[in-house]
This record gives sequence, structure tokens and C-alpha cells, in this order.
Amino acid sequence: MNQDVIFTPLRFRNLTVKNRIFRSNISGRFDNEDGSLTQTRINWECKFAAGGVGAIISSYVPVLMEGRIIADYATIHRDDFIPLWERLGAAVHRFDCKYILQLSHSGRQMDFPGVHNSHRPALSSTSRKETLHGFLCRAASKAEIDHLVQAFAAGAWRAREAGLDGVELHAANGYLFTQFLSSGINDRTDEYGGSLQNRARFLIEVIRAIRARVGREFHLQVKLSAVDRNNVIPWEKKGNVLSDTIEIAKWCESEGADAIHVSTGSLFPHPLNPPGDFSFETIATTYDAMIASGVDAFRNFLLFRYRLLRPIFRWVWFRMKKGLPIEGVSMEEARAIKANVTVPVLNTGGYQTASFIRNGITSGAFDGVAIARSLVANNDLVQQWAMGRDLPERPCTYCNKCLLNAAKNPVGCYELVRFPSRDAMIEELMTIYATRPTLNLPPVVAAKAA
Amino acid sequence: MSAAPEAPVTYVEAQLRRRRRLLLPLLILLVLLLAVGLIAVGFALAAAERLTRNRTEAFPDIVAHFEHGSIGADQSSGIPFWVWKALPRLFPAEFDGHLDYRAFGFLYRTDNHGRQEDLPIGISKRDFHGVDLVWFNCAICHTGTFRTSEGAGRVIVRGMPSNNLNLYGFIRFILDAGVDERLKPDKLIPAVQAAGANLGLIEQQVWRHVVIPTMREGFIERRSRLGTFLAEQAPWGLGRVDTFNPYKLVQMEMLLDAISPDERHAASDFPSIFNQRPREGMHLHWDGNNSSLAERNLSAALGAGVTPETVDHAAIERVAAWLGDLQPPRSPHRVDAAAVERGRALYMNACAACHGYQGPDRYVFEGAKLGTVEPNSTLGTDSGRLDSYTEAFRQRQLAELFAGTPFQFKHFVKTNGYANMPLDALWLRGPYLHNGSVPTLRDLLAPLAERPTAFVRGIDIIDGKNGGFVSPSCTPGNRPAQGFCYDTRLPGNGNGGHTFGTTLPDNEKNDLIAYLLTF
Repeated sequence: MNQDVIFTPLRFRNLTVKNRIFRSNISGRFDNEDGSLTQTRINWECKFAAGGVGAIISSYVPVLMEGRIIADYATIHRDDFIPLWERLGAAVHRFDCKYILQLSHSGRQMDFPGVHNSHRPALSSTSRKETLHGFLCRAASKAEIDHLVQAFAAGAWRAREAGLDGVELHAANGYLFTQFLSSGINDRTDEYGGSLQNRARFLIEVIRAIRARVGREFHLQVKLSAVDRNNVIPWEKKGNVLSDTIEIAKWCESEGADAIHVSTGSLFPHPLNPPGDFSFETIATTYDAMIASGVDAFRNFLLFRYRLLRPIFRWVWFRMKKGLPIEGVSMEEARAIKANVTVPVLNTGGYQTASFIRNGITSGAFDGVAIARSLVANNDLVQQWAMGRDLPERPCTYCNKCLLNAAKNPVGCYELVRFPSRDAMIEELMTIYATRPTLNLPPVVAAKAA
Repeated sequence: MSAAPEAPVTYVEAQLRRRRRLLLPLLILLVLLLAVGLIAVGFALAAAERLTRNRTEAFPDIVAHFEHGSIGADQSSGIPFWVWKALPRLFPAEFDGHLDYRAFGFLYRTDNHGRQEDLPIGISKRDFHGVDLVWFNCAICHTGTFRTSEGAGRVIVRGMPSNNLNLYGFIRFILDAGVDERLKPDKLIPAVQAAGANLGLIEQQVWRHVVIPTMREGFIERRSRLGTFLAEQAPWGLGRVDTFNPYKLVQMEMLLDAISPDERHAASDFPSIFNQRPREGMHLHWDGNNSSLAERNLSAALGAGVTPETVDHAAIERVAAWLGDLQPPRSPHRVDAAAVERGRALYMNACAACHGYQGPDRYVFEGAKLGTVEPNSTLGTDSGRLDSYTEAFRQRQLAELFAGTPFQFKHFVKTNGYANMPLDALWLRGPYLHNGSVPTLRDLLAPLAERPTAFVRGIDIIDGKNGGFVSPSCTPGNRPAQGFCYDTRLPGNGNGGHTFGTTLPDNEKNDLIAYLLTF
């Protein structure tokens, strides 16, 4: 087994990971409304660490409360959260697993604004609403951009202080960085809009600020969408192409990024990210939670809810997938980027077959893969590979019900056919709550004398 | 407790509310436009349905079809039904105060409950472009009445000449009404409503701006063509028509000056139309100018107001088929059988060759000269009617009417006399000769000097002694209490000619009349 390239360590400039498998960013709504993480998150991350992945890329972690995509995801906007993240890091490290915190800002792609954000438009590169759900936004001013840059630097510093193993800038999949990078979204006329260099300015400034704050020795990787494919709504501008992203990746490397994580698509979810099926029956029961989030969300709900209308969205969603594989959907784009940078390249997109990944590594498409859904289906996927299986016994079906349930229900696998019974499925979903936190009593504060 | 609207909780909701507020007027406008559009489409469809409508009642019963079935004249020459109903209210003097058309000699049938029918015999109705139009059919000129005595009931006979009809008076009235201010919408619409039309507000506007102006224009146009001519003519009197002169002016659109003075005095009696089938091939019309029943029928329909475009051939052919063997009612005259026999011998010897004869059951259409034209040089009756049909007019008839169709006229000829007519239903056909200038059979057997110079037409009491109808003498210029005073001294009204039998002794005349009374 030692010869298996999957299980050879991946050495970054400042970090070595024991194998080539990264748990990609994925989370449930199990943290506190104030952004503090919970025991459930520790339980969740440890499932994957125990399953043998070399590193975990945290779920999306906002650097500011106004950058949350979903209200009850943990944040890193406060210094007093450092001990919490430290606790999480320590928990994962016990499994010889690294923990990379994904620094994020939603921009306009804010699925659940929560009490902190529902009263205002989100900050973005543009004031044009998001096109799929109709999330509202406002173009950030120069001062606000400076503030954002510093928030990312502070987030990186907190991650380092918490003893975590590195940070990833979520500059893919339609979040704030994409909103600046994408020629299909960014309509600014100042130094942050127009040319590719201008559109990349915000990301570059963030990398510089992080390096200025945490130094050269802390692992920093950047997740990029290789191709925007911004035209999910058919009449939109198409956005960045591969050559744009190669250029951006090169600039990231020269500014001090230690790795590039290649994904695809200028929004999330995107027909190609995650690739696979789309369960109308599932989303018809969960999307109602998002109706109040966007001005077009009710329209979507109707498209999901009523059978007669479903063909409209089915056409919108599936027309882009034709002829593309599920596993390794953006592998060739990763290969193109890898050919243009010297730092290691990670790729995400439906990976589940050991031989396929092995081939990807040896053929120079990428140095490692980041996996979410297949690991949710089989937390021990890496161990199964280690035991010689090419595919797990009950593989992920790419049904995407885990994703479509996330708006309302506990995160986990909802593909009933993979379980002996519904009870077994629920039991598996509940495992993330199994280790319970110690319950503390709030201090009693004496009433002030009159 | 506050009435102020609750503020939106989220930014999205605030924007949606703003959007709704901005979109509301648009939405309302859209809904209104949609509603207006739907209403407009509805109106357009209804209007299109109405404007393409062209339907008339089909009568399964042939008698009802003869009396009220449309031959197409209503479409081309008709006036709106409700105007027809309103005219008596607007012109009480012309209608003798009646609300119907009896004043012009129109006949009404009564239904089983004794109620007079809405329209007189000879008037058809057609819903054309959403307006009911009424006008003539064949029965207008070919349905008359008789009474056996002053107090007897009136019997309507289909196929006999319309002995009561004042067609001249009616046409003059219609032409004058066209320029009468009483047909202005402000006066006509209330009268139409009073007659029971119950027009809605929109329909009233349609009538005001379309129906009435169109109708009046039609009246004025007809008046411009016919008015001067008719005013210069002597009134035709009851039971008579000038067949071809109005035809020249209206159908041919000839100018008045193109009609020479000799042609202008042509009023003649309506003919009876029983027993048409045996007449096929005979010279038809008084002057015998056509030997085709079908052409004669079509030509008569043109006179009733159809055009080559509107004529309903099937409706006319249905009437013609029925008329083919239509028998007149038997003569009710009681005559001495021996006299009849003596008269028959005289008749068979002197008259039958030209006129056929009455058999025991029905009329016998046999005779060497039956249905041929007798030159007027030998006949000597008034030439007005003969002269009114000219070669020039014939040429235009053949060239223009139904040109390019199977119905194009081919059989019209210009003759030099009058046709020898079968004498079936002779008892219903007085006064006699083509122009109805001799009141009774006895007068016809009298020399010219003894024939009445002025007599009353239009009394429908049959004359059991002399034949024909009771026709008291009258003074031209003085309107008789009943009927029309016919003056034989007017051009076209001459009562000379047909001197056959005038020299017989009185007893033989009596015998001949006795036989003729059985016809």
C-alpha cells in the first residue's frame, strides 16, 4: 500500500498532509446564531478525521457576520472564538488529520441572512441582484473593501492563533471573491472592475494582507472556479474562462498562495458543482425555508413545487451537464491550471473511485482531491480504499439530496436506497449529535443597588 | 391598535413591497387592458358574427314559402323590419290610420287565434348583417281576393292577380318617405321603439349612424332614379304594374331621357299564375316576349327587387314547381246549363283556337293559336304595354343580366302584338285585356262605344251576371268610396281592340258569357 500514490504525503511549502484526500468544505446548520461553533461541529469534523482523510477543509467560515451564507454556520469574526476553533483543531489533530479553515464572505450569495443581515442588502462588487434566487446586494465602496480585506487578514490570524493548519480563501462558487473576479458579475468601473487585473485586485489585496498579518510560514491556499459558466439563467453573461483563471492562479501563487483548489461555476449550487442529480421532490419540501431570502425565490419555489412547471427548471439545470462526467467534472481544467503553477493543485468534483484519483495524480491533473458528498455517504471511504476497494461498498449515488436537504434538515446522506431502513438512515444522521457538550450554567449577576 | 401599516421586517420584503407598489399600477393597467381587450374581442366576435349574418326562415310548408319565403329581394331592396313596422305610426295619413299596410292593398292572413300576422302576404324577412330586412316575394303581385257578395266573407286566392294591391301608391310613398324628415333618426328611432324594436343603447347608435343613413341613401337613390318618372306617369291603379319601365331605370340604370314618350304608358294587370306547366313554350308576358318559364320567372323576380347577386334560385324554383300544376278554385257562378252548352258551341267555334277551353274538370290548353302572338294590327288593343318593351332594352337584357352564368337570358324577343292567353280562372281575372281596361266579359263583347270609359277597379265582389268584378262607373278625379277610378282615356289605358264577338246578337252573347262564367 505504501506505493499507492493516494497514500503518499502531500507536501506544501508550510504543511505536509499524510495523504492526498481532503474533506472538502461542507457543513450543517448546527452552530450557534452568534457564530460560535458547537460540539456538533466537532463531532461532524471528527467523523471525517476518523475516517482517514489527510486534511479537512472546514466548511465555509465567514470572516464577518455580514458575510454569512447561512445564519447558523460558525464564524471567525471574533477573537473570543479562537479557543473554540482551537478545541476543534485539537479534536481533529488526534486523528493525525490537518485542519484548514476556509475564510469566506458570502457577498450577495446569502442563502439565509439571519437576524444580523435580513434588514440590509449584502455587500458585493455589484448592486445587481443575484440572478437565481434574487438575493439583493449593494456595491461595496473602497472603504468597505479595505474593511473586508482587513477582516480576511484578521480571520487568518485567528486561525493561526487557534493552532489550525492553514487557511483557504473561498474564491470560487459565486461567493464574494467570485463576484469580484467574474466578468459576468462584476460591473464596477473603479479599480476593482473592468480588466481581469482589476477584478482580481480584491483577492490579491486579501492575500497580501494575510501574508502581512500571519507571515510567510502559515499555509494559505486559494479555491478558484476554473470556468464561471455564469449563464445558468440563459441570458446572463458567461463570465470568466479557463485562461482567465490560469492567470489569476499564477498571480495568487506569486503573491504567496501555497496551493490552488480548483472547482467550477460562478454560483452555488451550480449544475456542475456538485455534479449529479437534482431531486425536485426534496427541494419542493425544503426550499420554502428560502422564500423570504430573495425576491425571485417564490418563483423558484413554484417551479420546484408544481410538476407542470418543473420542466422549466429541469431544462435550466440540466442543459449544461450534457456530455460531461460526474466524477472529475473539472479534472481537465485542474490539469490546465496545474501546468501553469508550481504549487500543488487540489481538485474537487464527484471523486469516489480510487483508481480514477490515482490516475489523476500520476497523470499530473492534480496533486490531491477534495471530496464532500462521497465522504458524507461513506465517512470511511479512505479506509475502504486502503483496504483495496476501488469503489466503496455502498457508493454515493450523486443524488444531491444531502445538499437539497441542507436548507432545513440535519446534514447527512438522505439516499434511502443506501440504507437498510429509514430508521437506519435517521440513526446515521443523528450520529453528529452523539457526543454531547458539557452544559454550563450561566453566571448569576447580582442586581445593582438602586 | 394603530392603523398604520406594519413596517417590513426584512430588506427583501421591503424591496418586494416597493416593487409591488411600483408594479401595482402596471398590474391594474394590464388587468384593465386585458379586460378591455377581452371585451373588445367579444364585441368584435359578436360584430363579426352579426356582420356576416345572412339568414332567412325556411318554410317547410310550400304555401308559407310562397307567402313569406325569401327570393333574395329583401337583401338587395329591403327596408329594415322595424322601419316597416314604424312607418304606419309616422305616416298615419298615408296608412289611413292603420298600423298595418292594408291601406296599400296588402293582404294579411290571420292565424288560428284570429290574430293578424305580423307581415302581409308577399313580404319576406331576412336577417342580413344583423338587421332584419323585409321586401317583396312572388306572392306580392299574385295573391288576390274575391267575395261572392257585398256581405260575404273575403277569400284569399294564391295565384290570382293581386287585385287589391296599390303598388304604385306604395312605391311613391316609399320614395317620398326617403326624403321626409320623419325618417330622421330622432323621429324614426322612437317610432321604431314604439313599434316594439327594443333597441339597446349601442344598437340605437348603430341605427342612428349606420342603418338609418344607409336606408335613407338607398331610398334617395331609388327616388332619383324612379321618382320623376313615376310622378309624370298616371297612377297605375289597383292590381296593375308598369313592368319594364322601372326595370330600365333601376336595374339598367338608364337615364329618364333614354325612355321615349311612347314607351312610358305601360301599366298592365298583374297576371294570374295558375297552371304554369302547360304554359311552357307559349309566348309568356302580355306581349309574349319570352317563351321560357324559368327566364320569365327570373325576370319577374328582378322586378320584385332581387339582383343577380342576391337572387335565391332555389327558392324561386321551388315556387315555380308548385305553380306548375296549381289549380284555381272552381268558378262559383251559377249559370243555366243549356246556355252554357250553347255558349260552349259558339266558343269552340270562334275562340278556342286562340284561347283553349274549359273542360269538365280542368282547363284544356289546346288551340292552334294558343300562346302565340297576335299582331296588334289585327288585335287593336292599346299599344302602350307593347311599345314599352323595346329592342334596345332587349339587347341590354340579353347582354347584361346574369351574364356569364347559366341563367343568362336568351329567350327574350321583341313582338308586334299581344299573346293569346289561356283563360283558366277567368272569373278571377277581371278587369280584362292586358291593361285591365274593360271591366267585365259583357263589356268586352260590347263595341267600343258601349264599353265604360271610367269605372271602379279594386272591388273584389264577383259579378255573376257579367263576369269579372263589380265595377261601377265613376268620374275621373273624384276618388270613389272604394277602389280606384280607372280612366280609359288616359294614355296606355285605352279600352279598344279585341272586337271579337262584339257583333253577336244579345242571346248568343248571353250564351257565350254563361259558358265563360264557368272558366
